Amino acid sequence: MSDTATAPRPDEKDSELKRSITGRLLFFYTLGDVLGSGIYVLIGLVAAAVGGAFWIAFALGVAVAAITGAAYAELVTKYPQAAGASLYVNKAFGNRPLTFLITVSFLAASMAASGSLAVGFASYFSELWAAPPALLVSLVFVAILVVVNFIGITESVVINMLMTFVEVAGLLIVLIIGIVFVAQGNADFGVLTQIETGGDYSSPALAVLAGISFSFFAMTGFENTVNVAEETIEPYKAFPRSLVGGMLVAGLVYVLVSIAAALTVPVDTLAGSDAALLEVVKQGILPFSTDFMTNLFVVIALIAITNTTLVTIVTQPRILYGMAREDVVPAVFATIHPVRRSPWVGLIFSGVVVSLLLVIGTLVTASGGGIDLVGRLATVTVVLLLAIYALVIVSCLKLRGQDEHDEIFRANTPLLMVGLVGNLAILGFTVYDDPHSLIWCAGLLAVGGVLFLAEYFFGGKGTGATTPDLDETTAGKEA
Amino acid sequence: MHVIVATDGSMQSLAAAKHLKSFADPTKITEVSVVAVLRPLASVAFADDVSGREFDGSFRDAAQSAVDAIAAVFDGWGPKVNKRIRSGSAANEIIKAAKQYDAGLVVVAAGGGGLSDAVLVGSTAQRVQHYAPCPVLVVRPAPRKKK
Repeated sequence: MSDTATAPRPDEKDSELKRSITGRLLFFYTLGDVLGSGIYVLIGLVAAAVGGAFWIAFALGVAVAAITGAAYAELVTKYPQAAGASLYVNKAFGNRPLTFLITVSFLAASMAASGSLAVGFASYFSELWAAPPALLVSLVFVAILVVVNFIGITESVVINMLMTFVEVAGLLIVLIIGIVFVAQGNADFGVLTQIETGGDYSSPALAVLAGISFSFFAMTGFENTVNVAEETIEPYKAFPRSLVGGMLVAGLVYVLVSIAAALTVPVDTLAGSDAALLEVVKQGILPFSTDFMTNLFVVIALIAITNTTLVTIVTQPRILYGMAREDVVPAVFATIHPVRRSPWVGLIFSGVVVSLLLVIGTLVTASGGGIDLVGRLATVTVVLLLAIYALVIVSCLKLRGQDEHDEIFRANTPLLMVGLVGNLAILGFTVYDDPHSLIWCAGLLAVGGVLFLAEYFFGGKGTGATTPDLDETTAGKEA
Repeated sequence: MHVIVATDGSMQSLAAAKHLKSFADPTKITEVSVVAVLRPLASVAFADDVSGREFDGSFRDAAQSAVDAIAAVFDGWGPKVNKRIRSGSAANEIIKAAKQYDAGLVVVAAGGGGLSDAVLVGSTAQRVQHYAPCPVLVVRPAPRKKK
């Protein structure tokens, strides 16, 4: 213990504004967030829509998403706060109902994504232990993630990075299998140019567009990186590199994994599988016990899905917290647990809504609704996010010339135009192809509407900032 | 002696700061550093319950208002008051700050003593107690009066 004045003074400025997210961490955050969402879950659907050439769908989808990522990178360097799309749209249009709609859409997209991922988790889990019903597994999965989030384990940057490494490792296994297969001389490269036109889609362009639409869920997640914008060191440098760079790396991995999967497994088998990437491992191409490899791969897939779901489940209470503090939803969502400092009401609410989605989805499927629950919830996510992405690009262009300063990344304007058209084209096709998804979107958006009405009729102004009575919690009352 | 007063934005952390002031001798304290830690990957990176200020979408602003409110407790008390905002895991950053400033005392607030304290492992206060390089004052809430 020293109280002399000779101790070296810490750099004042440095220690007062100490940020903790480096560009590298941001890169892994992006990569982990994007890679887990979808490729493990959806590759079968994409293969079914396109045929052997389904890697093209992943390449084009990720290109549109990376351009959208560039728009986010520009906006986040301009407005480095955690609110993301809602903030940008509010800055660009200043229209409160529109901002509310975007915020609720994002919340709904995030909830649908959690649902889809939870069902995907259950599909892989059944490979390890088939006894428990899928619905139970996905519900327990969501419940555990809610508890983990409440305790705060999710806050560990190190755990996040480790999970991302595991995710990448899983996809590397698929790549290595592909390389070994090619080296053995068994590969038929012709399959890579085959586009299925005999099925639901008559023209190759339509089949590819359908593939992009189904694969697009795998591109989402990058928008969650704005969560850490405020804590990023030199966001001006870090965001363009890490966000767009992370997307491009994810895209490269997707294309290579798609090619490896298409070469090693017959497309029909991929198309019919709930856990399609597992089929690649089950081919037994590597000189290890297939059982061992399968189990290893299942565990990796489960970790990958968990990583991405965690981020979505962290995001939902945050959105509710922000809205509650602005008095657009009931103030109860701003309730912070006094010890854990977690928004526990919002967290439980998110868990309940996602669980309801799972239960309703399972009931509809069981009653012969003829839907694939993973695909349906993924489509709902994609419809909502594509609309948001398109609006974010428009906001980015509209906000040019406003709030400009030296440390803003500027996305390439013609590319943004291409991205806008791309987002709208995929959106248009998705809605055209699966109009029923709009019912689900509306249902989820209605949740936001109900919350708004609850606040409107029963809420008081300014309640979001209420603080507990000091006397109740005080030990250190001055005598 | 350099004293670190940690705040998580809770009313209990304000109580802790007041408790320190209620008994400590300001002539023995050279500096007070009020430290807030933002948790970038948490749902709510920082919740400010102490200043009564509106949340404007910036967790950093929220942390700043909380630090300002806690620092205001020590206005005119004597020791120089520093305001610090750090980012990362709360317990780690408080311990790091204690080492960096060569602190002689760390003041933290502890939880409510309810179910969550009994069941859940690793609260910030516990970890600071275990690993801090100096004495730690953990200010617990008063038990509720039975009526």
